[in-house]
Amino acid sequence: MADCNIPDTKTILIQRTLRSGQTVRYPGHIVIMGDVNPGAEVIAGGNIVVLGHLRGIAHAGAGGNQQAIVAAFKLEPTQLRIDNHITRAPDGQKWHPKQPEIASIKNGVVVIEDYHSSGDKHLTLYQA
Amino acid sequence: MGEVIVVTSGKGGVGKTTTVANIGTGLAAEGYKVVLVDTDIGLRNLDVVMGLENRIVYDIVDVVSGNCRLKQALIKDKRFEELYLLPAAQTKDKTAISMEQMKELCANLKNDFDYVIIDCPAGIEMGFKNAIAGAEKAIVVTTPEVSAVRDADRIIGLLEANDLEEPKLIINRIRPDMVKRGDMMDIDDMIEILAIDLLGVVPEDELIVISTNKGEPAVLEKTSKAGQAYKNISLRITGENVPLMHLESHAGIMKKLRKLLGV
Ligand SMILES: Nc1ncnc2c1ncn2[C@@H]1O[C@H](COP(=O)(O)OP(=O)(O)OP(=O)(O)O)[C@@H](O)[C@H]1O
Ligand SMILES: [Mg+2]
Repeated sequence: MADCNIPDTKTILIQRTLRSGQTVRYPGHIVIMGDVNPGAEVIAGGNIVVLGHLRGIAHAGAGGNQQAIVAAFKLEPTQLRIDNHITRAPDGQKWHPKQPEIASIKNGVVVIEDYHSSGDKHLTLYQA
Repeated sequence: MGEVIVVTSGKGGVGKTTTVANIGTGLAAEGYKVVLVDTDIGLRNLDVVMGLENRIVYDIVDVVSGNCRLKQALIKDKRFEELYLLPAAQTKDKTAISMEQMKELCANLKNDFDYVIIDCPAGIEMGFKNAIAGAEKAIVVTTPEVSAVRDADRIIGLLEANDLEEPKLIINRIRPDMVKRGDMMDIDDMIEILAIDLLGVVPEDELIVISTNKGEPAVLEKTSKAGQAYKNISLRITGENVPLMHLESHAGIMKKLRKLLGV
């Protein structure tokens, strides 16, 4: 998984669904407890985490952060941007994610992977 | 003290005026005292749909600008004693009235009526702001099209920002055959995005067009499926618990119900 630790960055928590026409812009991380509907836009200097369905536009690492990530319970954005990389689902095709996913830049391209909350961290915890 | 309900949609032509005429008539048929307010200034047509066009002398702009008394501008319906229409002005534009004036007008009307139902113009500009200014509740109308749902979502956001919380949804012009074939947006998909309570689903129905042209709301037409849907919606507005009609229910909702009931 990408290194999503961006130190010294503040986080804002949005406790509602963003509807069409609504925008959230924040220099740090953005966590949304709700959906991001089509026509809504989230722009973060850091990471974007959506505890819901992301169908609108998400731009993480805006202003030059290649390490930023976008994660959602259902990652189905109209368009996804990380730093200055822009991606979207191929025309006529839709992402139908079945589980939480995470998008990041790897080797210069945006890749989307299943999000596994378990793994390394737990191991180190148990070992300690 | 009555209730002020605005019927809105964002996108034009999805059935706001049809909805206002039908639920207004439906509520009057149940014995409630109802006034319909057309705020689509410059493009009025609620009067035509109600078949009352030839009775208009004064309009809403005359009322708020003091050219006449409120009672003089209210037009009594042909069918129901306690159903009235306050028509929009046709020769002026949407700036002919202010939000403050709308608030005052609504406050006056709800003293005399059980339901004040406001027909909102399309769009999100002044006309929309005026229409919602005096409302306490909102009904959002959409059709099963991506663009209409997108606009409905935008409108719900604006309603919430104006303290009109928990608007209710009407999905109009559903064609069960197309939904079955997967050619039309599914009710569940729309509700998943909009995430508000469903007040009812109205099918596509030729009788709506016929009744609109005759100036007789379909809700009074027993053979009209759309009319029956509007009747059920009217009852739900009064607080009655009316289940969705058969054509309204479909695989998705049934699946959910079964899941809920554990069968
Ligand atoms: N369920 C339906 N079945 C068939 N036709 C319908 C149905 N609902 C509405 N219509 C037709 O669609 C057209 C538009 O409806 P209506 O005027 O109520 O929309 P509106 O949202 O008020 O439009 P506007 O934004 O212009 O005010 C009308 O011709 C009406 O007869
Ligand atoms: Mg209309």
